[in-house]
Amino acid sequence: MTRETKSMSISRRSFLAGTAGVAASSLIPGMPAFAAGGRVVVGTWGGDYARLLTENIDQPIMNPLGYEIVQDQAGDPERRAKMLAERRLPRGSVDTNGLQDSSMYQVFAQKLVEELDFDKIPNAANLLPNMRLPYGIPQIFSGMVCLYNPDKMKAPSAYADLFDPKMGNRLGIIDIQYRHNIAVASLIAGDSVTDVEKGKALLMELRKAGVRIYPTNEAFAQALKTEEIDGGPMWKARSLQWQKAGINVLAAVPSEGMVPYVSGFVIPKNAPNKDGAYAYLNALLEPEAQIRFAEKMGYAGTTNVEMPKELQERVSFTPEQIEAMNPIDFEFFTKHDLELKTWWDREFVG
Amino acid sequence: MSATAASRPKILTAAFLIGPATFIAGLGVIGPMLYLLRYSFNKYDPMELMIETFTLSNYVEFFTSPYYLSAYLTTLRVGLISTVICLVAGFPLAYVLARSASRFKNLMIIGIVVPLFVGNAVRAAGWMSFLGSRGLLSVTLMKLGFTDGPTDFMYTEGTVIVGIVAVNLPYMVLSLQSVLEGINRNVEEAAFSLGAPPLTMARRVLLPLALPGIAAGTILTFILAMNAYATPVLLGGPSFNMLAPLVYGQFQLNNWPGAAAVAFVLMATTLLLTILVAIITRQKFRDA
Repeated sequence: MTRETKSMSISRRSFLAGTAGVAASSLIPGMPAFAAGGRVVVGTWGGDYARLLTENIDQPIMNPLGYEIVQDQAGDPERRAKMLAERRLPRGSVDTNGLQDSSMYQVFAQKLVEELDFDKIPNAANLLPNMRLPYGIPQIFSGMVCLYNPDKMKAPSAYADLFDPKMGNRLGIIDIQYRHNIAVASLIAGDSVTDVEKGKALLMELRKAGVRIYPTNEAFAQALKTEEIDGGPMWKARSLQWQKAGINVLAAVPSEGMVPYVSGFVIPKNAPNKDGAYAYLNALLEPEAQIRFAEKMGYAGTTNVEMPKELQERVSFTPEQIEAMNPIDFEFFTKHDLELKTWWDREFVG
Repeated sequence: MSATAASRPKILTAAFLIGPATFIAGLGVIGPMLYLLRYSFNKYDPMELMIETFTLSNYVEFFTSPYYLSAYLTTLRVGLISTVICLVAGFPLAYVLARSASRFKNLMIIGIVVPLFVGNAVRAAGWMSFLGSRGLLSVTLMKLGFTDGPTDFMYTEGTVIVGIVAVNLPYMVLSLQSVLEGINRNVEEAAFSLGAPPLTMARRVLLPLALPGIAAGTILTFILAMNAYATPVLLGGPSFNMLAPLVYGQFQLNNWPGAAAVAFVLMATTLLLTILVAIITRQKFRDA
């Protein structure tokens, strides 16, 4: 007992040293003070995404509001796994998590994240009509366009022009985009993105015709660069990056309506700082932040903020194109994900 | 009695020395492994993640599915072939290094270690530029008139083996070199002076004495090859399947029970074959 008391006691000297340290640190110029809102832990991908969040959300918007932002950088599956592992804890380790669209729905279906209270996100009033989700705030999006080499083929006007057996081995698709490839094929062969049986049949025809399947986006880009393929489906944002890198490709918006890719943020049910997380979601939709992300990443903003005309034309789409989009049916694809991936791996690719 | 008294402190010291490492391994490795093992008997559910139960269905699926069995055999084949290539290619290199008296020996060792500074994914990207249909190799062959058009060397088992050997070779060379340096040169001289030709000397003297290094290098490179991820994904392409990428693929789909079962089959196979190599090597070393 005596020993315990002794170990807990603070000597006069250490008390003075400690208080002097705290006082001195508050006097250091340029050192931000983040007392008001507390700490917000933001799960995000690393690299450019993390850097752009720091430069456009954390520093200019959240820090002045009194929030200290700590990033938890990892891939989408890893951060989802962490949320699952922490599901029974009263306090999780992350306040808001950035995920791709299908993952946002998945964690919502698994009851891991909050149903959002939009009163706490005033900027959500500016979200585009088909970007309002009950469980997450979409931050950026792009559409799957028809990417083609203008020296090698005529501009496709529809997904059907690309997913045509006549393309043979001049068509390339990406393995990790299996959901979107199945959705596009279903859209062409059937009535909707969930008409997967017809979509599978079309994909098998393409396979017989020699479609090339690349493991990653980078391998697909390499194939376009070396002219191994003439075209394939890809996000418009990526096509802009590749054009900048000197690859001879153009993008055409398909007449069937694009299948979009959305990236957004959710709030885990056991987030320790929910007010901070809501403030973060609101900050993501600030007009300035939306414009800066569009400029730097090439993805379109999810709000109706007025962008400079050149930027709007470069990264975004017309209101008609946005309205005509064919979002993935996440409920259907989540329920059948394993089955579809198994078919993709064993029947289509294998 | 006095012997027992003397050995007791030794046992205590040994326990003290291995205690912390054992504790950390137990906490950080064995604990999660047991968790994973338990998961492998659960049932996958897309909405609930997994349903707590006790079923062998994930293992049954693995051992009855031609897809998984094919990936299993591919993994074993690639693991074994790349390990043999590493051993055959690495031994002469390690021998030259071990016997070298050059003042550049340290530089040579650094030259072998330097490739390890580059990550597997970056290295695979380099191979992609080299082996692609418009890559350096294909273009060179065309220019030299050996081929009429572009040749794609990517996405084959051979390419994956080349990629894995390039990653694992330094481990084999370093394991062998450290053991070969410990073998007295006089032993080899003695064999030669008794009339043994170089190959006989190598077979009867050098190889048996180098067995611990061969075992260490073989086990290390085999484990690395069996568990390779980036190289099979990037150089093998989507239709080439090894078990480590399959584990991650199932994990990405949230199929934790399925991923856990595949991971355990992979771990158990690697462990069994490693133990087998260790037993055989020990036996041979004792006989020698």
